Amino acid sequence: MKGYISSGILELYLLGELSERERQEVEQMAARYPEIREELDQLEASMFAFDRLSGQKPSPAIKDKIFASLEVETPPASIKTMDTPESKALSRWRNFSAAAAVVALLATVFAFYFANRYYSTQEEYRTLVLERSVLAEELEINQARYEQMEEFLGGDFDRIPLEGEAYEMQKDAQVDIFWDRNDARVFASVRNLQLLEPGQDYQLWAIGEDGPIGIGIINASQTGLLQQMETVSAAGAFAITIEPKGGSQTPTLENLVVLGEVV
Amino acid sequence: MQEKQIISGLKARNKAAVEYLYEKYSRALFGVVVRIIPQRDQAEEVFHDAFVKIVSKIDSYQKGRGALYTWMANICRNAAIDKTRSKEFSKSGQTNSIDDYVYALEGRSDTGDYVDGIGVKELMAELNDDQKLIIDYIYFKGYSHAEIAEEFNIPLGTVKSRVRASFAVLKKKMEKI
Repeated sequence: MKGYISSGILELYLLGELSERERQEVEQMAARYPEIREELDQLEASMFAFDRLSGQKPSPAIKDKIFASLEVETPPASIKTMDTPESKALSRWRNFSAAAAVVALLATVFAFYFANRYYSTQEEYRTLVLERSVLAEELEINQARYEQMEEFLGGDFDRIPLEGEAYEMQKDAQVDIFWDRNDARVFASVRNLQLLEPGQDYQLWAIGEDGPIGIGIINASQTGLLQQMETVSAAGAFAITIEPKGGSQTPTLENLVVLGEVV
Repeated sequence: MQEKQIISGLKARNKAAVEYLYEKYSRALFGVVVRIIPQRDQAEEVFHDAFVKIVSKIDSYQKGRGALYTWMANICRNAAIDKTRSKEFSKSGQTNSIDDYVYALEGRSDTGDYVDGIGVKELMAELNDDQKLIIDYIYFKGYSHAEIAEEFNIPLGTVKSRVRASFAVLKKKMEKI
């Protein structure tokens, strides 16, 4: 239950971003579990409160216009019965024009009906296409992750935790480095790093006997994902500094964010 | 008036119910629109159509499909997003973001934006950069979470958890009001 609530699906439900299937699922879950109903109600209440706080009053003229528009939307008038004809000739014409009017009216009604159908079908189609591309995208991401995990599990990786506690930049920064000494592969997994200003990058350094070597740029927003770095066969420690976009030749030591020694 | 009464009143086209609905929700709902469309005349046009749609489509609202406000806010949000994607939408001044919005709010004369001393600006200061970006793109630029994932090359799951974290901050703050 906790997992369902914390997956963020309720928030997307409120934002109207779920597919029909997911939406129904949320509603069924909410009907079955009071905790979910309550969370949903609270989220909605806070969304309303936020919208009201940050909202604005529309101008009074708009209110009048809305009420005027709603007045017009009364049910359509019923068709009146025809008068008795005064003369046969006139009656024929009358009948003819009445029939023509009915045909025209029917044609208009049909045109509106089909136009409506056309637009709603088009809308449904667009939603489906969008949904499909989202699914395909999700699948692709998962596939890439799966392949990487397989590769990762096949290796012999040591975990080297890098911590920011001892440095001034970001005390709570944490990054894990996974290093396979046999084939020199290195992966980084961000646990906690602040996002940088544009124009800056986090650069990973392997510190060996020849001093620090830059082995790649780390994407701070991809928390919990394995990011493959350049290979390194010998290192006594790993460290991350903030450098100008694209990285530097040598590390800017006053921008040292995290460091971890290889044991 | 209870939500149930409002809804049955609307279904019966009771003018007082529409009036009540307008008084209670117009500020928030117009807020939803004007966040996405900062040009006031265009926002009001969209709001007009959306509100008329809410009242005339009330029969299609079903209880159990979330509460009334969510349903109405989504109609407004979708109308606003559709407008920004339409051909006739003028792109002038379309650089809306939280900061622009807060700035514009501050310049306004009515002080109703400060409830118990907590204003929108203070609220935004509670969000970290990740969360601010999420609120900015979802609330002010009308992006979907999938579009954010694509635009910033962030995994969808990460976007979802950030949406949740941002809402949690809003929830915590709004409870105090």
